[in-house]
Amino acid sequence: METIPEQNQPSPPSTVTPAERLAYSIQEAADLLGIHYYTMYRLIQRQKIKTCRVLRGKLLVPRTELVKLLQTDLR
Amino acid sequence: MKYNERPTQLEETANAEAMTAFAEQTKQFNAHCKGVHHVEANLTTLGNTAFHAALESSGRAIQTNDGTKWQHGVDLMENTSICHRRTGADLEFGIVECVPMKSGEAKNLLMDNTHGVRELLKTFVRDERQLLGIWKNDIVEEVKEHLAEKYPNQDMSIVAGSFEIKMARAISEKPALAQNQSRGIRI
Repeated sequence: METIPEQNQPSPPSTVTPAERLAYSIQEAADLLGIHYYTMYRLIQRQKIKTCRVLRGKLLVPRTELVKLLQTDLR
Repeated sequence: MKYNERPTQLEETANAEAMTAFAEQTKQFNAHCKGVHHVEANLTTLGNTAFHAALESSGRAIQTNDGTKWQHGVDLMENTSICHRRTGADLEFGIVECVPMKSGEAKNLLMDNTHGVRELLKTFVRDERQLLGIWKNDIVEEVKEHLAEKYPNQDMSIVAGSFEIKMARAISEKPALAQNQSRGIRI
């Protein structure tokens, strides 16, 4: 049976699971696809996958790109 | 940036710590640089071997992710090879990466393909050099993030800069002449 939390009770810390994230680092993306991270760089260089950067930081792979890649190249 | 000054004790400590933290990544990066240099130095030999393998139609059968069928020609680097196939009267060459998946199976990704094996190899080396540049920049960004976390409010640009210089050197290093190319010249 579902329990309704009391209103004055502090809400549990929001846990963001990897599956809910919008973007991943190269290593994380490679782990999710089950490939070597070097292959990720190859796919990026060959423009088979698009990446983005946040504040000129390290490369991030959007989740949508991973899904797209799974539906095409890594079938 | 203060590259013309001696690093402080803290910068030296940070550099040593970052080198340990990124040892595996830089090791793999340097190994890959050597792999690219090896292909670059042996372009003619590799091209000839791939061409002869194609003429003989030899090599194990490979199916790539796009559904096309190839025959293995010659290995370029770990998990990466030149493959060939006949398209009518022509020969076609492709760069295929065998990607081991965590599930245990392997996928063959067709990275590039063309009719000229030498042109394919030159494109491969150019692409791999660009890739090393992307990889280098990403490691440097990770080093910067790491240093910012470990040494907040400290200017550690000299440490990240030293990583960048070392990796840029590893990329631009001149390929060593292949042994078999010099063999026979000296008596």
